[in-house]
Amino acid sequence: MSMAGSFLGGAKNRLLPASVPFRFFLAASGFQVLAWAMLFVGAPDLAGYAGGTGPVLAAIHLLTLGVLVLCAMGASYQLLPVVTRRPMARTWPARLSFWFVAPGTLLLAYGMANAALPALFSGGGLVSAGLLVFAILTGNNLWRAGNMAVVAAHGWGALVALAGFVAIGVLLIADFQFGLLTERREMALVHMILASFGFMGLLVLGLSQVLIPMFVLSRGLPARLGWAQLATGIAALGLVGAGVLMQNPGLMIAGFVPGIGAVIAHFAAMRTAFRTGMRKRLGLSFILIRASWRFLGLGLLIGLALVLGLALPGGPALFGFVVLAGWLLTFLTGILQRIMPFLASMHASGHAGVPALLSDLTAEFPLRIHAVCHFAALTLVMAGIVFDLTLSIRIGAALGTLGALAFLTFAIILVVRLWALSNRA
Amino acid sequence: MHFTRRTAQLLHEDHQATIAVIEALDQMIAKARKATPDTNDPGIRAVLKSAAGAIKDEINKHFAFEEDELFTRLEEMGDVAIGAHLREEHAAILPLGQQVADRAARALDSGFSGDEWTKFRTFAGELIERMFAHIQKEEMALLPMLEDILDDETDMELSTRYANTHT
Repeated sequence: MSMAGSFLGGAKNRLLPASVPFRFFLAASGFQVLAWAMLFVGAPDLAGYAGGTGPVLAAIHLLTLGVLVLCAMGASYQLLPVVTRRPMARTWPARLSFWFVAPGTLLLAYGMANAALPALFSGGGLVSAGLLVFAILTGNNLWRAGNMAVVAAHGWGALVALAGFVAIGVLLIADFQFGLLTERREMALVHMILASFGFMGLLVLGLSQVLIPMFVLSRGLPARLGWAQLATGIAALGLVGAGVLMQNPGLMIAGFVPGIGAVIAHFAAMRTAFRTGMRKRLGLSFILIRASWRFLGLGLLIGLALVLGLALPGGPALFGFVVLAGWLLTFLTGILQRIMPFLASMHASGHAGVPALLSDLTAEFPLRIHAVCHFAALTLVMAGIVFDLTLSIRIGAALGTLGALAFLTFAIILVVRLWALSNRA
Repeated sequence: MHFTRRTAQLLHEDHQATIAVIEALDQMIAKARKATPDTNDPGIRAVLKSAAGAIKDEINKHFAFEEDELFTRLEEMGDVAIGAHLREEHAAILPLGQQVADRAARALDSGFSGDEWTKFRTFAGELIERMFAHIQKEEMALLPMLEDILDDETDMELSTRYANTHT
């Protein structure tokens, strides 16, 4: 039985209190506004960005930790117990992890924007503590997992990557004060690869095995494709990571072979879902989700071009932007606008007699504004990076902020409607 | 997508047919929006015909079979929650299906007035949304459950009985 089935099959005990996942999703929606706004401030530095403190670094971490990681935490806390059919024993550690990571990210971003060491250390410490709690809770759940081995294995891979990127992140922060690292740039690159492709990538690939079939109404995907994407993805991470640390371009290029294999396996699995899915009209969320897969492919091509030494204007910044904003942010906003109403309806149907309608909970208009602004922002910022045009990046970031505000409006309206429905019963 | 149990496969084929009808209905509503559609248009007539016939008859037979033959068996096995939840959804969907079918049949005879089209859109919109969510749950919870619990003999007996309701 898959996810929607598990929700139904006596799974009220696996449905967390609404306040747990929704605090992560609401905060992530708020951080999206801050990330785009910080990019607006750092627009002049983006095209030539190659590391170092300042608003660009702060914007990157507002996006990665504030949006992507908070979303991943909220989704994992709610979805993994459902997928693995093992309820979370206690919910307070999940709430605790939120109170570590969300304020910690704000402090860390402040420290990064202003090169303020006390904020960097305290923010980094809080975020690390929150992620440790998350890793323990998720590891405990995966350890007890009774089924969906392929999804659980992706979860384990993501947790290993999490340990790696957090450890390197702490080292990079300590290096600001103590100058410990001789190869800081390489370490920063491995940190980025582990966080985006390792932690977020493996979680996205794993949870897509259940979420996409659920949304398009197809049966479970062939497990062999799931295992293939996992095995090749891990091989790619290992080879590229080792290649960067050893400054060996040959290893990095070799890493792209399984990397492309992982993406092909993932696309094949998703294609199977669409081909066998009963729903053909999938709405706005799937425009975002499908677009995110194109950005994943584009990101890999840009990465390969960089490793091959091809001249690409603003190459490193373009690679980071396409992967983080193009692929991951687009995918997560597409998924969030599906998951939030779905979860809210599950909670609301527990209170009212007649099951709640998703349309009663969803405000469509802000989502349309978000989609238009988001795609315009991505296009303008990418063009700004390639042609080194600060104005283009700035207008793109302003549109991104507007779109993120629209998305936040959608999230707030949904929570208010859920609260009203819950109180009416 | 194929189920090994004939009963699950027949219900799944019903779901496919129902989704085709409600997707066509959804598309017709999205295309027309507030403008009243021309019921002399062959495309519109085809959608309304399937809405008038298929929704009413098929939903009634399908729901009755599930409630009388399947949920009762699940309840006897101690699994009350899933049947109770799906019955609740049936109770919400049936009157909507009736409304949409009756209004589609009337529109085939005498067209839509502005007011009738607005009401049709409202009922059909809710039916489409509830039906998608309902089929999603049955495909992912009920049918896999049938695959697990039915033995060969019961599967043959149930599927024959269900097939007979369609003849």
